[in-house]
Order: sequence, then C-alpha cells, then structure tokens
Amino acid sequence: MTVAPDTEVAAQPSAAVKAKPRRTWYLIGTPLLIVCALVADWLYVRSTHPDANARTTLQTSYMLSKLLEHLELTVVAGVFVLLIAIPLGILLSRKGMRLATPVVLALANIGQGAPAIGIIVLLAVLWKTGFEVAVVALIIYAVLPSLRNTMVGLQQIDPSLKEAGRGIGMSAAAVLFKVELPLAVPVILAGVRTTLVLLIGVAALSSLIGAGGLGEMISTGVQLQRYNVLVTGSVLVACLALFVDWLAGLAERYLRPKGIKA
Amino acid sequence: MNLWEYVRNRQELLWFETYQHASMVVQCLLLATAIGLIIAVITYRSKTASAVATGIASVLFTIPSFALFGLLIPAFGLGTTPSVIALVLYALLPIVRNSVVGMSNVDPALVDAARGMGMSRLRVLFKVELPLAWPVILTGIRVSAQLIMGVAAIAAYVSGPGLGDQIFSGLARLGGANAVNSALAGTVLIILLALVFDACFVLIGRLTTSRGIRG
Repeated sequence: MTVAPDTEVAAQPSAAVKAKPRRTWYLIGTPLLIVCALVADWLYVRSTHPDANARTTLQTSYMLSKLLEHLELTVVAGVFVLLIAIPLGILLSRKGMRLATPVVLALANIGQGAPAIGIIVLLAVLWKTGFEVAVVALIIYAVLPSLRNTMVGLQQIDPSLKEAGRGIGMSAAAVLFKVELPLAVPVILAGVRTTLVLLIGVAALSSLIGAGGLGEMISTGVQLQRYNVLVTGSVLVACLALFVDWLAGLAERYLRPKGIKA
Repeated sequence: MNLWEYVRNRQELLWFETYQHASMVVQCLLLATAIGLIIAVITYRSKTASAVATGIASVLFTIPSFALFGLLIPAFGLGTTPSVIALVLYALLPIVRNSVVGMSNVDPALVDAARGMGMSRLRVLFKVELPLAWPVILTGIRVSAQLIMGVAAIAAYVSGPGLGDQIFSGLARLGGANAVNSALAGTVLIILLALVFDACFVLIGRLTTSRGIRG
C-alpha cells in the first residue's frame, strides 16, 4: 500500500476509527464484550459435557500455561520489533537517509502481501521448530509495518515546526527529541497497538510449529474434532487480542503528549 | 530437487491453486465491497450509526484470523464456506471505514447544488457522492485485497481452496523431500499474486475515477 495523500485514511488500520466512538463506550464496551464472550463460551462448554480428552485441555491450569506461552511469544517478539523498528525508522527519516525511504516503503508494501503462515512454515522447514523460530518469524512479519508506521509518523510532521525549532537555536538532536518525536508519539503508539494485535494473531499460528501458545488449543480441537476445545481456544485468542487492543488504546489516549489534540 | 524443478513438475497444480486463490480473493472482495457499500450508504448520514458500524467491523478485524476460522468451523464445517465467510468479514473493515469517510467528506455544497438542480436523493448518491468518494473507497478495497491475500493462505488449514495448501503440505512434510520447495512455492506465489493485484488496483483506479477529479 502506498501512502498517497488521498489514501491516508487507510494507512493506519486501527487509529483512525477507534478514536471516534464516545469515551465511555470505549472504556466499557470492549471489556463487556470480552466478559460476555467468556461467559458464553463457559456456558457452551458446560452444555457439551466434555469427555476425558477434552477435559485435559480445558483445565484451568493448562489454559493458563498456554496463555502465558502466548503472552511470552508476543512480548518477546514485540520488544524486539519495537527495538528494531523505532530506532531504524528514526535513522531512516534523517536527512542523509531520505533516499532509503521509498525502498523501505516498497519493501513494506511487498511484505504486506506475504502470508504470515508462509513465513512461519518456511522458517520451520528451513531451520527447526519451536519457540525461538516462532519468535524470529513473528519479528520478520511485524517489523516492516512498524517501521513504516514510525517513518510515516515522522514524515507527516509539519516541516515549519522543525524549522521553527532550528530557528530558536535548537540543535538537530534537540529538534528530534523535543519536536519531532513528541509530535510523532500518537502515530508511533498507534503503530505499537497494531503491532501487538498483529503479533497475537500470528503467535496463534506458531503453535503449528510447536511453539505452544493458545493456538495449540485450536489445532488440538481441530485434530480431535472437539468443538468445545476448538471454540474455547478461539475465544481465548480473540479475547486476548481485543484486550490488548483495548489496553493499547488506553495507552494511546493517556500517553499522548499534552498539547496535541486528539 | 530444486525449486525450479519442483515448480516445473507441478506446474498444473500450482497454476490451479494460484487460480483458486485469486478467484477466492476476488469473489470475497466483490462480496465484501457490496456489503460494505450497502452498510456505508445506510449509515454515513448519522454519526452514531456509522460509529457503530465501523466499531463492529473493527472488533471483527481485531479477532486473529486463526481464531476466526476456529469459531466458524463448528457452525459451517470445513471447506470453502468458512473460508469465504472469514475473508469477507476481514475485508469489511477497510471498505466500510473508507466508504463512510469518503462519503462524509464530500463537500456539502456539491450535494446542495445537485439537489438544487432537481436531482433525487438516489441520483445524488449515484451521480455525485459515490463518484466523488470512489478513490477513497477503492483504496479501502485495495487494502482489503492485500490483507485477505495472506489470510486466504490459512484457509487451507480448514480444507479451503488456494495456495495455502502448498504451505501446509510443506509443514506436513517437515524434514522430508520437497518440504522447503512446497512452502517456498506457496509463499512466493502468494506474494507475487498480491503484487499483481496491487498493480491491477492502480489500473482500476485510473480507469474508474471520475474524470473531473482525476489528478
């Protein structure tokens, strides 16, 4: 996706729309939805009278360990992605590196069409299965969109503000840290949010290469044809994604530097 | 066997799966565009209604694809049906959001002028609002296309059609002969297909944008 002026609406999947609905709805809506989904799932599982096979995977301790594995995958990969994408994005938007911008954006464009499952499976067949491989696959998949987000965030800053900064005697570093980065914070935070949600989704797939996580419940459910396990796994993954999206949305609201209007 | 030999040997199968993949994505896009436009046309005049519509679409969009497939299997079984439903649901958000934004950004003075000329509401919609919003709507469809191209690969996990089959058979043959070739062929073909689609959208944009607003 190229970012032409009239296409910017679509450039940031989650940021544009979610800021709009009213505050109270945003605060209550998602948690309410999550609770309802979990309760509905619990009632559904109870009504199916799970057999011994299903019960082993529906134990609280098992589900908790899978949830922790899932979070571990997401957090480890997420930290690496941000550590790579944000500094690199800043570096690439400096004057001397401007030439690299279209190249990175074009690469990000190609990367977007790349199927997550393809990257995961490819790494697994080329290398090995397990946690580390999954983390590397997640990083490869998420680093380009995050990089693009950082660069777009820095690019869209009004150049006259940067000039004003230089004009009042700020050094280039001061302009970066006191003007450009604070102004780019909303876009970067929106990018962090998108990245985390993306990673949770892809982490669900990495159970297929033996990296654990909640996706294991989904694949177990499919293999054993136990719909109660399958649905519970899916509901947990979905709720986790919604919850993280909600948390990151709150962060977006409250970490926004004062002086920037929503 | 290297990748080239693998591709040569399985030329027909790969063509067929590429065709299936492309055809599934196109059909789901058409369906999602129709549904998305209808939702947008119904809701764009009211702030609350359009917020609710985009809100629901963005919840669906947040649900990871693997989980969405998982939720659809008990209701629709395996195969093409759950794949198509999942892809359409994914494609909805960008289309609905861009249509709503595009149509509510049309200059009210233009709508007024059209009404003043005696156009009916419906004619204003089709002759003024939709043509003016079209470039933004098309961008939404293009974003959806890129998104569901990758999601469609997971369809193979629920026995759906398309190139995902190559990827999953690579996984099934892990360590065996052709595992790498198969996974690589599937992944690369999907990326190529996504690029071809993107190029097509540039062309479609040129051809279908109303002459008055063409840049």
